[in-house]
Amino acid sequence: MMEIKLVVNEKPYTLNVEPSERLIDALRNRLGLLGTKEGCGEGECGACTVIMDGKTVNSCLVLAAQANGSVITSIEGVGNRRSPHPVQKAFVEVGAVQCGFCTPGMVLSAKNLLDRKSKPSDAEIGIAMSGNLCRCTGYDKILRAVKIAAEEGKE
Amino acid sequence: MKYFQPHSVEDALEIAQTSEAVFLAGGTDLVLHMRTGKVQPSEIIDLGKISVLREIKITDGFLDIGSMATFAELGENELVSQNAYALWQACQTMGSPQIRNQATLGGNLGNCSPAADGLPALLALGAEVHLISREGEEIVPLSTLLSRTPLLEQGTLIRGFRIPLQGLQSGFAKLGRRKALAIARLSVAVAVETNGTRVENVRVALGAVGRRAFVSEALSQELSGQELNEAWLEKGVLEVQRIVREALGTRASAPYKRVAVSGVFREALASIISEGGTQA
Repeated sequence: MMEIKLVVNEKPYTLNVEPSERLIDALRNRLGLLGTKEGCGEGECGACTVIMDGKTVNSCLVLAAQANGSVITSIEGVGNRRSPHPVQKAFVEVGAVQCGFCTPGMVLSAKNLLDRKSKPSDAEIGIAMSGNLCRCTGYDKILRAVKIAAEEGKE
Repeated sequence: MKYFQPHSVEDALEIAQTSEAVFLAGGTDLVLHMRTGKVQPSEIIDLGKISVLREIKITDGFLDIGSMATFAELGENELVSQNAYALWQACQTMGSPQIRNQATLGGNLGNCSPAADGLPALLALGAEVHLISREGEEIVPLSTLLSRTPLLEQGTLIRGFRIPLQGLQSGFAKLGRRKALAIARLSVAVAVETNGTRVENVRVALGAVGRRAFVSEALSQELSGQELNEAWLEKGVLEVQRIVREALGTRASAPYKRVAVSGVFREALASIISEGGTQA
Protein backbone atom coordinates (compact mmCIF):
# COMPACT_ATOMS: atom_id res chain seq x y z
CA MET A 1 0.00 0.00 0.00
CA MET A 2 1.11 3.54 -0.55
CA GLU A 3 -0.19 6.89 0.54
CA ILE A 4 -1.41 9.44 -1.99
CA LYS A 5 -2.89 12.89 -1.56
CA LEU A 6 -5.38 14.26 -4.03
CA VAL A 7 -8.24 16.70 -4.26
CA VAL A 8 -11.52 15.28 -5.56
CA ASN A 9 -14.43 17.61 -6.23
CA GLU A 10 -12.73 20.30 -4.14
CA LYS A 11 -12.26 18.05 -1.10
CA PRO A 12 -8.73 16.99 -0.08
CA TYR A 13 -8.17 13.28 0.57
CA THR A 14 -5.28 11.16 1.80
CA LEU A 15 -5.73 7.57 0.62
CA ASN A 16 -3.85 4.33 1.01
CA VAL A 17 -3.92 2.59 -2.36
CA GLU A 18 -2.38 -0.48 -3.98
CA PRO A 19 0.32 0.45 -6.54
CA SER A 20 -1.63 -1.37 -9.26
CA GLU A 21 -4.94 0.24 -8.30
CA ARG A 22 -6.52 2.37 -11.00
CA LEU A 23 -7.94 5.83 -10.42
CA ILE A 24 -11.44 4.57 -11.28
CA ASP A 25 -11.15 1.91 -8.55
CA ALA A 26 -10.05 4.47 -5.97
CA LEU A 27 -12.90 6.83 -6.90
CA ARG A 28 -15.58 4.14 -6.87
CA ASN A 29 -14.43 1.78 -4.13
CA ARG A 30 -12.58 4.02 -1.70
CA LEU A 31 -14.51 7.27 -2.10
CA GLY A 32 -17.87 5.76 -3.05
CA LEU A 33 -18.15 8.01 -6.09
CA LEU A 34 -20.15 5.65 -8.28
CA GLY A 35 -20.96 8.22 -10.96
CA THR A 36 -17.75 7.33 -12.77
CA LYS A 37 -18.61 4.29 -14.90
CA GLU A 38 -16.40 1.52 -16.18
CA GLY A 39 -17.39 0.51 -19.68
CA CYS A 40 -14.67 -1.16 -21.71
CA GLY A 41 -11.87 -0.84 -19.16
CA GLU A 42 -9.35 -0.25 -21.92
CA GLY A 43 -9.60 3.39 -22.88
CA GLU A 44 -11.92 3.01 -25.84
CA CYS A 45 -15.32 4.13 -24.56
CA GLY A 46 -14.70 7.13 -22.32
CA ALA A 47 -17.40 6.19 -19.78
CA CYS A 48 -14.78 6.52 -17.02
CA THR A 49 -13.74 10.05 -18.06
CA VAL A 50 -12.77 12.40 -15.25
CA ILE A 51 -11.02 15.78 -15.33
CA MET A 52 -7.51 15.59 -13.88
CA ASP A 53 -5.59 18.86 -13.49
CA GLY A 54 -7.80 20.52 -16.09
CA LYS A 55 -7.59 17.72 -18.65
CA THR A 56 -9.91 14.83 -19.42
CA VAL A 57 -8.45 11.37 -18.86
CA ASN A 58 -9.77 7.82 -18.92
CA SER A 59 -9.64 6.90 -15.23
CA CYS A 60 -9.34 3.22 -16.19
CA LEU A 61 -5.91 3.93 -17.75
CA VAL A 62 -4.53 6.05 -14.92
CA LEU A 63 -3.12 4.50 -11.77
CA ALA A 64 -4.38 6.08 -8.56
CA ALA A 65 -0.72 6.62 -7.66
CA GLN A 66 -0.21 8.65 -10.85
CA ALA A 67 -2.95 10.99 -9.62
CA ASN A 68 -0.93 11.71 -6.46
CA GLY A 69 -0.97 15.49 -5.99
CA SER A 70 -3.65 16.02 -8.64
CA VAL A 71 -6.96 17.83 -8.65
CA ILE A 72 -9.79 15.63 -9.90
CA THR A 73 -13.32 16.48 -10.94
CA SER A 74 -15.74 13.58 -11.25
CA ILE A 75 -19.39 13.86 -12.25
CA GLU A 76 -20.36 14.29 -8.58
CA GLY A 77 -18.49 17.60 -8.65
CA VAL A 78 -20.50 18.96 -11.59
CA GLY A 79 -23.89 20.40 -10.67
CA ASN A 80 -26.66 18.60 -8.83
CA ARG A 81 -30.38 17.97 -9.06
CA ARG A 82 -31.30 21.45 -7.81
CA SER A 83 -28.67 23.30 -9.72
CA PRO A 84 -27.51 21.34 -12.77
CA HIS A 85 -24.52 22.43 -14.83
CA PRO A 86 -25.54 24.08 -18.14
CA VAL A 87 -24.31 20.96 -19.96
CA GLN A 88 -26.47 18.71 -17.78
CA LYS A 89 -29.47 21.01 -18.27
CA ALA A 90 -29.02 20.93 -22.03
CA PHE A 91 -28.65 17.11 -22.05
CA VAL A 92 -32.01 16.80 -20.28
CA GLU A 93 -33.74 19.40 -22.44
CA VAL A 94 -32.62 17.87 -25.72
CA GLY A 95 -33.14 14.26 -24.65
CA ALA A 96 -29.46 13.36 -25.00
CA VAL A 97 -29.73 10.74 -22.25
CA GLN A 98 -31.13 7.29 -22.86
CA CYS A 99 -29.61 4.53 -20.75
CA GLY A 100 -27.33 7.11 -19.15
CA PHE A 101 -24.22 4.96 -18.81
CA CYS A 102 -22.07 7.17 -21.05
CA THR A 103 -23.57 10.41 -19.75
CA PRO A 104 -21.17 11.21 -16.86
CA GLY A 105 -18.19 10.91 -19.22
CA MET A 106 -19.97 12.86 -21.93
CA VAL A 107 -20.84 15.68 -19.52
CA LEU A 108 -17.25 15.90 -18.26
CA SER A 109 -15.79 16.01 -21.78
CA ALA A 110 -18.27 18.74 -22.71
CA LYS A 111 -17.72 20.70 -19.49
CA ASN A 112 -13.95 20.55 -19.97
CA LEU A 113 -14.30 21.86 -23.54
CA LEU A 114 -16.48 24.78 -22.41
CA ASP A 115 -14.12 25.55 -19.52
CA ARG A 116 -11.29 25.91 -22.01
CA LYS A 117 -13.23 27.47 -24.87
CA SER A 118 -16.43 29.42 -24.39
CA LYS A 119 -17.34 29.52 -28.09
CA PRO A 120 -16.32 26.20 -29.64
CA SER A 121 -16.99 25.50 -33.31
CA ASP A 122 -18.95 22.42 -34.39
CA ALA A 123 -15.67 20.79 -35.37
CA GLU A 124 -14.15 21.52 -31.97
CA ILE A 125 -17.22 20.04 -30.25
CA GLY A 126 -16.90 16.94 -32.45
CA ILE A 127 -13.24 16.46 -31.56
CA ALA A 128 -13.80 17.09 -27.83
CA MET A 129 -16.55 14.44 -27.73
CA SER A 130 -14.76 11.93 -29.98
CA GLY A 131 -13.38 9.92 -27.06
CA ASN A 132 -16.82 9.13 -25.63
CA LEU A 133 -18.95 6.39 -27.11
CA CYS A 134 -22.74 6.20 -26.85
CA ARG A 135 -24.59 3.09 -27.99
CA CYS A 136 -28.11 4.54 -27.60
CA THR A 137 -28.60 8.00 -28.97
CA GLY A 138 -26.59 8.15 -32.17
CA TYR A 139 -24.71 11.30 -31.01
CA ASP A 140 -26.90 13.85 -32.77
CA LYS A 141 -28.71 14.92 -29.61
CA ILE A 142 -25.52 14.84 -27.55
CA LEU A 143 -23.71 17.17 -29.93
CA ARG A 144 -26.78 19.41 -30.07
CA ALA A 145 -26.86 19.56 -26.26
CA VAL A 146 -23.21 20.61 -26.09
CA LYS A 147 -23.89 23.30 -28.67
CA ILE A 148 -26.86 24.62 -26.70
CA ALA A 149 -24.83 24.65 -23.48
CA ALA A 150 -22.08 26.57 -25.29
CA GLU A 151 -24.57 29.12 -26.61
CA GLU A 152 -26.08 29.62 -23.16
CA GLY A 153 -22.63 30.19 -21.76
CA LYS A 154 -22.06 33.01 -24.25
CA GLU A 155 -24.93 35.12 -22.95
CA MET B 1 4.71 -4.34 -6.16
CA LYS B 2 6.72 -1.25 -5.23
CA TYR B 3 5.95 2.16 -6.67
CA PHE B 4 8.43 5.01 -6.98
CA GLN B 5 7.67 8.58 -7.94
CA PRO B 6 11.04 10.31 -8.32
CA HIS B 7 11.33 14.06 -8.98
CA SER B 8 14.55 13.98 -10.98
CA VAL B 9 16.12 11.95 -13.79
CA GLU B 10 19.07 11.13 -11.53
CA ASP B 11 16.80 9.64 -8.86
CA ALA B 12 14.89 7.63 -11.49
CA LEU B 13 18.15 6.15 -12.83
CA GLU B 14 19.38 5.39 -9.33
CA ILE B 15 16.23 3.41 -8.56
CA ALA B 16 16.34 1.69 -11.95
CA GLN B 17 19.87 0.48 -11.38
CA THR B 18 19.09 -1.40 -8.23
CA SER B 19 15.86 -3.02 -9.33
CA GLU B 20 14.00 -4.84 -12.07
CA ALA B 21 11.70 -1.87 -12.33
CA VAL B 22 9.82 -0.71 -15.40
CA PHE B 23 9.45 2.97 -16.26
CA LEU B 24 5.90 4.28 -16.32
CA ALA B 25 5.29 7.17 -18.74
CA GLY B 26 1.63 8.11 -19.37
CA GLY B 27 0.44 4.58 -18.70
CA THR B 28 -2.18 4.30 -21.45
CA ASP B 29 -0.50 1.10 -22.65
CA LEU B 30 1.29 -0.10 -19.49
CA VAL B 31 -1.70 0.18 -17.13
CA LEU B 32 -3.73 -1.87 -19.59
CA HIS B 33 -0.94 -4.45 -20.02
CA MET B 34 -0.67 -4.79 -16.24
CA ARG B 35 -4.40 -5.33 -16.00
CA THR B 36 -4.41 -8.09 -18.64
CA GLY B 37 -1.30 -9.67 -17.10
CA LYS B 38 0.83 -9.14 -20.22
CA VAL B 39 3.27 -7.18 -18.05
CA GLN B 40 3.76 -8.02 -14.38
CA PRO B 41 6.35 -5.60 -13.02
CA SER B 42 7.64 -6.03 -9.50
CA GLU B 43 8.53 -2.35 -9.34
CA ILE B 44 7.30 0.74 -11.16
CA ILE B 45 9.15 4.03 -11.60
CA ASP B 46 6.55 6.69 -12.41
CA LEU B 47 8.19 9.46 -14.47
CA GLY B 48 5.16 11.74 -14.21
CA LYS B 49 6.61 14.03 -11.55
CA ILE B 50 9.86 14.82 -13.39
CA SER B 51 8.91 18.16 -14.93
CA VAL B 52 12.13 18.56 -16.93
CA LEU B 53 11.05 15.60 -19.09
CA ARG B 54 8.00 17.51 -20.34
CA GLU B 55 9.91 20.35 -22.00
CA ILE B 56 9.52 21.21 -25.67
CA LYS B 57 12.10 23.75 -26.87
CA ILE B 58 14.57 24.76 -29.57
CA THR B 59 18.24 24.11 -28.70
CA ASP B 60 21.27 24.40 -30.99
CA GLY B 61 19.49 23.75 -34.27
CA PHE B 62 17.23 21.03 -32.91
CA LEU B 63 13.64 20.79 -31.78
CA ASP B 64 14.09 19.17 -28.37
CA ILE B 65 11.16 17.15 -27.05
CA GLY B 66 11.17 15.63 -23.57
CA SER B 67 10.01 12.04 -23.43
CA MET B 68 7.12 12.89 -21.10
CA ALA B 69 5.58 15.52 -23.40
CA THR B 70 2.04 14.32 -24.08
CA PHE B 71 0.44 14.03 -27.50
CA ALA B 72 -1.96 16.82 -26.49
CA GLU B 73 0.92 19.11 -25.48
CA LEU B 74 2.75 18.39 -28.74
CA GLY B 75 -0.43 18.86 -30.77
CA GLU B 76 -0.97 22.32 -29.25
CA ASN B 77 2.63 23.46 -29.56
CA GLU B 78 3.62 26.00 -32.24
CA LEU B 79 7.27 24.93 -32.29
CA VAL B 80 6.04 21.47 -33.26
CA SER B 81 3.58 22.63 -35.93
CA GLN B 82 6.22 24.92 -37.46
CA ASN B 83 9.19 22.57 -37.36
CA ALA B 84 7.76 19.06 -37.34
CA TYR B 85 4.43 19.21 -39.15
CA ALA B 86 4.12 15.46 -39.69
CA LEU B 87 4.53 14.87 -35.96
CA TRP B 88 2.03 17.63 -35.20
CA GLN B 89 -0.47 15.95 -37.54
CA ALA B 90 0.10 12.56 -35.92
CA CYS B 91 -0.59 14.13 -32.53
CA GLN B 92 -4.00 15.43 -33.68
CA THR B 93 -5.34 12.03 -34.61
CA MET B 94 -3.74 9.64 -32.13
CA GLY B 95 -6.26 7.92 -29.84
CA SER B 96 -8.87 10.25 -28.38
CA PRO B 97 -8.65 13.54 -26.45
CA GLN B 98 -8.46 11.58 -23.17
CA ILE B 99 -5.65 9.36 -24.47
CA ARG B 100 -3.76 12.31 -25.96
CA ASN B 101 -3.91 14.10 -22.60
CA GLN B 102 -2.18 11.18 -20.91
CA ALA B 103 -0.06 9.37 -23.50
CA THR B 104 3.50 10.55 -24.08
CA LEU B 105 5.88 10.43 -27.04
CA GLY B 106 8.48 8.60 -24.94
CA GLY B 107 5.91 6.00 -23.97
CA ASN B 108 4.96 5.59 -27.61
CA LEU B 109 8.55 4.58 -28.36
CA GLY B 110 9.02 2.56 -25.18
CA ASN B 111 5.93 0.47 -25.84
CA CYS B 112 6.90 0.36 -29.53
CA SER B 113 3.66 -0.99 -30.96
CA PRO B 114 3.89 -1.71 -34.72
CA ALA B 115 1.14 0.89 -35.09
CA ALA B 116 2.69 3.56 -32.82
CA ASP B 117 1.47 6.84 -34.33
CA GLY B 118 4.41 8.98 -33.31
CA LEU B 119 7.21 6.88 -34.77
CA PRO B 120 6.75 7.21 -38.57
CA ALA B 121 6.66 11.01 -38.26
CA LEU B 122 9.78 11.04 -36.07
CA LEU B 123 11.55 8.73 -38.53
CA ALA B 124 10.66 10.83 -41.58
CA LEU B 125 11.89 13.95 -39.79
CA GLY B 126 15.23 12.28 -39.04
CA ALA B 127 14.74 12.34 -35.26
CA GLU B 128 17.40 11.20 -32.84
CA VAL B 129 16.71 9.70 -29.44
CA HIS B 130 18.46 10.82 -26.29
CA LEU B 131 19.00 7.81 -24.03
CA ILE B 132 20.40 8.01 -20.52
CA SER B 133 21.43 5.44 -17.96
CA ARG B 134 23.84 5.22 -15.05
CA GLU B 135 26.51 4.19 -17.56
CA GLY B 136 26.14 7.43 -19.52
CA GLU B 137 24.22 9.14 -22.28
CA GLU B 138 23.74 8.27 -25.91
CA ILE B 139 22.23 10.13 -28.85
CA VAL B 140 21.15 7.59 -31.42
CA PRO B 141 19.15 7.95 -34.66
CA LEU B 142 15.65 6.58 -34.11
CA SER B 143 16.03 4.40 -37.20
CA THR B 144 19.12 2.77 -35.63
CA LEU B 145 17.44 2.34 -32.25
CA LEU B 146 14.46 0.60 -33.85
CA SER B 147 16.76 -2.07 -35.25
CA ARG B 148 17.92 -3.06 -31.76
CA THR B 149 16.49 -6.00 -29.83
CA PRO B 150 15.67 -5.43 -27.08
CA LEU B 151 14.90 -1.83 -27.84
CA LEU B 152 16.35 -0.62 -24.54
CA GLU B 153 18.64 -2.14 -21.96
CA GLN B 154 17.33 -2.48 -18.40
CA GLY B 155 17.77 0.81 -16.60
CA THR B 156 17.98 2.90 -19.78
CA LEU B 157 15.61 5.83 -19.87
CA ILE B 158 14.34 7.65 -22.95
CA ARG B 159 15.31 11.19 -22.00
CA GLY B 160 13.83 12.76 -25.11
CA PHE B 161 13.95 13.30 -28.86
CA ARG B 162 15.70 15.84 -31.04
CA ILE B 163 14.61 16.72 -34.53
CA PRO B 164 17.16 18.59 -36.68
CA LEU B 165 15.79 21.91 -37.95
CA GLN B 166 16.33 21.41 -41.67
CA GLY B 167 13.32 23.30 -42.99
CA LEU B 168 11.72 20.10 -44.23
CA GLN B 169 8.14 20.00 -45.38
CA SER B 170 6.42 16.99 -43.93
CA GLY B 171 3.09 15.25 -43.66
CA PHE B 172 1.45 12.26 -41.97
CA ALA B 173 -1.63 10.19 -42.74
CA LYS B 174 -3.07 7.04 -41.28
CA LEU B 175 -5.74 4.56 -42.06
CA GLY B 176 -7.98 3.41 -39.23
CA ARG B 177 -11.38 1.80 -39.00
CA ARG B 178 -12.85 5.05 -37.72
CA LYS B 179 -11.62 8.57 -37.09
CA ALA B 180 -11.15 8.58 -33.32
CA LEU B 181 -9.69 5.83 -31.17
CA ALA B 182 -8.73 3.58 -34.08
CA ILE B 183 -5.42 1.76 -33.94
CA ALA B 184 -3.62 2.62 -37.19
CA ARG B 185 -3.91 -0.18 -39.74
CA LEU B 186 -1.37 1.64 -41.83
CA SER B 187 0.42 4.95 -41.46
CA VAL B 188 2.75 6.95 -43.67
CA ALA B 189 4.94 9.95 -42.88
CA VAL B 190 6.87 11.83 -45.55
CA ALA B 191 9.44 14.60 -45.20
CA VAL B 192 10.90 16.41 -48.22
CA GLU B 193 13.61 18.96 -48.75
CA THR B 194 12.68 21.00 -51.78
CA ASN B 195 14.60 23.48 -53.90
CA GLY B 196 12.14 25.37 -56.05
CA THR B 197 10.15 22.72 -57.87
CA ARG B 198 12.81 20.09 -57.27
CA VAL B 199 12.75 17.45 -54.55
CA GLU B 200 16.30 17.24 -53.24
CA ASN B 201 15.78 14.70 -50.48
CA VAL B 202 12.86 12.55 -49.37
CA ARG B 203 12.33 10.35 -46.36
CA VAL B 204 9.30 8.06 -46.26
CA ALA B 205 8.47 6.12 -43.10
CA LEU B 206 5.81 3.47 -42.73
CA GLY B 207 3.93 2.30 -39.64
CA ALA B 208 1.87 -0.86 -39.05
CA VAL B 209 3.74 -2.57 -41.89
CA GLY B 210 5.67 -5.25 -40.03
CA ARG B 211 6.98 -5.41 -36.49
CA ARG B 212 8.17 -1.84 -36.06
CA ALA B 213 7.93 1.43 -37.97
CA PHE B 214 10.75 1.91 -40.50
CA VAL B 215 12.23 4.34 -43.05
CA SER B 216 12.52 3.04 -46.57
CA GLU B 217 16.02 3.76 -47.89
CA ALA B 218 14.98 2.47 -51.31
CA LEU B 219 12.17 5.03 -51.52
CA SER B 220 14.54 7.83 -50.50
CA GLN B 221 16.91 6.89 -53.32
CA GLU B 222 14.21 6.46 -55.94
CA LEU B 223 12.45 9.74 -55.19
CA SER B 224 15.26 12.17 -54.32
CA GLY B 225 16.80 14.64 -56.77
CA GLN B 226 13.79 14.93 -59.07
CA GLU B 227 11.14 17.40 -60.20
CA LEU B 228 8.09 17.51 -57.93
CA ASN B 229 5.28 16.81 -60.37
CA GLU B 230 2.54 14.32 -61.13
CA ALA B 231 4.94 11.78 -62.59
CA TRP B 232 6.99 11.95 -59.37
CA LEU B 233 3.91 11.30 -57.26
CA GLU B 234 2.82 8.36 -59.42
CA LYS B 235 6.30 6.89 -59.26
CA GLY B 236 6.20 7.28 -55.48
CA VAL B 237 2.85 5.47 -55.31
CA LEU B 238 4.21 2.50 -57.29
CA GLU B 239 7.39 2.37 -55.20
CA VAL B 240 5.60 2.57 -51.85
CA GLN B 241 3.29 -0.24 -52.97
CA ARG B 242 6.33 -2.34 -53.83
CA ILE B 243 7.90 -1.66 -50.42
CA VAL B 244 4.73 -2.71 -48.60
CA ARG B 245 4.43 -5.84 -50.77
CA GLU B 246 8.01 -6.83 -49.96
CA ALA B 247 7.69 -6.02 -46.24
CA LEU B 248 4.47 -7.94 -45.70
CA GLY B 249 5.11 -10.97 -47.91
CA THR B 250 2.33 -13.50 -47.45
CA ARG B 251 0.72 -11.96 -44.36
CA ALA B 252 -3.05 -11.93 -44.40
CA SER B 253 -3.17 -8.13 -44.44
CA ALA B 254 -0.81 -7.84 -47.43
CA PRO B 255 -3.34 -7.77 -50.32
CA TYR B 256 -5.26 -5.00 -48.56
CA LYS B 257 -2.37 -2.89 -47.32
CA ARG B 258 -0.35 -2.90 -50.54
CA VAL B 259 -3.32 -1.32 -52.33
CA ALA B 260 -4.45 0.91 -49.46
CA VAL B 261 -0.99 2.41 -48.99
CA SER B 262 -1.26 4.36 -52.24
CA GLY B 263 -4.12 6.44 -50.83
CA VAL B 264 -2.44 6.93 -47.47
CA PHE B 265 0.80 7.97 -49.23
CA ARG B 266 -1.07 10.55 -51.35
CA GLU B 267 -2.80 11.87 -48.25
CA ALA B 268 0.49 12.21 -46.36
CA LEU B 269 1.82 14.27 -49.26
CA ALA B 270 -1.29 16.44 -49.56
CA SER B 271 -0.08 19.16 -47.19
CA ILE B 272 3.35 19.25 -48.82
CA ILE B 273 2.10 19.53 -52.36
CA SER B 274 -0.48 22.20 -51.59
CA GLU B 275 2.01 24.17 -49.45
CA GLY B 276 4.60 24.11 -52.18
CA GLY B 277 1.97 25.29 -54.67
CA THR B 278 2.91 22.49 -57.00
CA GLN B 279 0.17 20.88 -58.99
CA ALA B 280 0.47 17.17 -58.75
